[in-house]
Amino acid sequence: MRLARSAFLVGLAILLGTLPAVEASAQVFSQRGFVEGRMLVYPQTAPNDDRQVGADVLLRWEASVGPASWLALAGAFDARADTLGQVDESWRVDWDDRTRLRPALSIRRASAALHRGGLMLEVGKQFVRWGKTDILNPTDRFAPRDFMDVVVNDFLGVIAARLTYEREGRSIDLVWVPRFTPSRLPLPDRRWSVWPQATDLVAVVDGGVTFPGGSQSGARWSQVASGFEYSLSFYDGYNHLPLFDASFQPAPPSIEVRTVFPRMRMYGGDAAWPLKWLTVKGEIGYFTSTDPRADQYGEYVIQVERQRGEWLFIGGYAGEFVTRRGGEVSFAPDRGLTKSVLGRASYTIDPNRSVSFDGAVRQNGHGLWLEGEYSQAMGQHFRATVAGNLIRGEDDDFFGHFRRNSHISLTLRCSF
Amino acid sequence: MEEAQRRTEAASERYEGSLRVVNARGKIADKSWRFDRLGSHGASRAVLRFTSPAEVRGVALLIVNHPDRASDQWMWTPAIARERRIALQDRSARFFGTDFSFEDLEERDVGQYDYTLLGEEALGSVACWRIEARPKGTRASQYTRSRVWVRKDNYAYAQIENDIKTQLVRRLKYDEIENVQGIWTARVLEMTDLRENSRTTLRLEKLQYNVPMRSEDFTLQALRREQ
Repeated sequence: MRLARSAFLVGLAILLGTLPAVEASAQVFSQRGFVEGRMLVYPQTAPNDDRQVGADVLLRWEASVGPASWLALAGAFDARADTLGQVDESWRVDWDDRTRLRPALSIRRASAALHRGGLMLEVGKQFVRWGKTDILNPTDRFAPRDFMDVVVNDFLGVIAARLTYEREGRSIDLVWVPRFTPSRLPLPDRRWSVWPQATDLVAVVDGGVTFPGGSQSGARWSQVASGFEYSLSFYDGYNHLPLFDASFQPAPPSIEVRTVFPRMRMYGGDAAWPLKWLTVKGEIGYFTSTDPRADQYGEYVIQVERQRGEWLFIGGYAGEFVTRRGGEVSFAPDRGLTKSVLGRASYTIDPNRSVSFDGAVRQNGHGLWLEGEYSQAMGQHFRATVAGNLIRGEDDDFFGHFRRNSHISLTLRCSF
Repeated sequence: MEEAQRRTEAASERYEGSLRVVNARGKIADKSWRFDRLGSHGASRAVLRFTSPAEVRGVALLIVNHPDRASDQWMWTPAIARERRIALQDRSARFFGTDFSFEDLEERDVGQYDYTLLGEEALGSVACWRIEARPKGTRASQYTRSRVWVRKDNYAYAQIENDIKTQLVRRLKYDEIENVQGIWTARVLEMTDLRENSRTTLRLEKLQYNVPMRSEDFTLQALRREQ
């Protein structure tokens, strides 16, 4: 079944790759995409997962068309298969990214953008990205992600109406999301699981997921000047990352864990200041909640960036302060990156080859994550990437939870 | 130099560029982009959007040129749906593996340089003025100075050599000069990076001047919209 689906995806990619860009008098159709196969090797087993080798294949196809000068339609489609059991085997086409498994077929984007002058309204499933820093973005509240593999993650679209007005370097961005999209979590029985583990005395029972029914909204004011740019942002809605609400069930004795997404309000800001020798970027978000189970806290990032020839260096610090403890266990990769020194370095060897290094080292020395990647293009369509992830840490550290998940990946992508 | 600039003024410009990068070891990489520019010289905005290879299709650069200082530039990467400002100190970096740096993609207003006539020199069979250009204090540049060869017959640029301190680092040759809608334009530009010993040839296809364009298509919002 999985082999058949993989073969189907490759065939579909070949078919899509033959679609030409069409240009008519008032209508431009363009498309792009890739099919990507990835093999993962974990040198160590995990306590709840002894699989050490896996593979997955992803076909992504994106298309856009402009039927009129004031209208742009954009769509994107994903199809997947894997050997790790993280992809749903049904052929249902998913739209809202609420399933626990990755959907085999999904609409990644489907939006219409209407624009006139500096005003633009985009409606539908789309990507809304806020913030300026690079490794961690506290203000990026409309950007849930697929965290199934935690350190290797991808953004999910949100179903939203977004109104933007831009004029002479100033812009206001208003976003309304009628239907909540959560981040996708690691599966409970896989190595990236963040669930409480069962003990000999008591079982842990999945109490299901409760999705909030209300809408989310946000506003962002941005100003771009010649030597400085900044934004102020506000968000009112729900955290796309969950809390695990645990309750004891006496008969039979068990702990029922429900996954809930608490209300969240954010007051944030970000800025970039290009100086003569380097660029300074900063971002901060303060998060409050009416849900007593959730923490109230602030996250901030300060980083510097420097391009030197073919090298790009980014280094900074991510911090956190908590003003109220909620008490429940949460899954929060963003907070897991805080209280850390963050860094990125990339080097373009030549037009076809590059290497990059990413990392986060905990300030108390209790955890670290390092990633190294070598990538080489082959011809006009193919690219091979070898990456290694090293994860180490203590039991009580976010990285430490995944210390047996260091891995190597080999990815082959064919773009069309 | 003012006359050379005056002769290339246009309300807008559009072309499809095909690029061939040949590195020191003879490896070849082909790319293409679509280029739109609204306005002229120091008062212009331009969007350059890659159309191939497939893996960079949709990556775009917005350039806002200023008459009195270096341009502002932002790069849009569709895969992460974000724009990134290209800081001044980043402008010396190669642009997407080509031999053009980000700064080389700016439009250079003649008012941002001080000029000295070095003499007259023939490039091939074409008689040229050889002029030294040094950036004024208000204009941050990776280059300490440039030498510009301007054709005597039509005031079109024939060649530019750029120095960092005293070292010649890049040479831009203008070839196949044609009269396009009254503007003498090089259809082929060859940029050589003398430190890397590599070269990029840019061929301008479907070149048009004074095409109707809208200012709203040269904004950060438009980068996101037109992905």
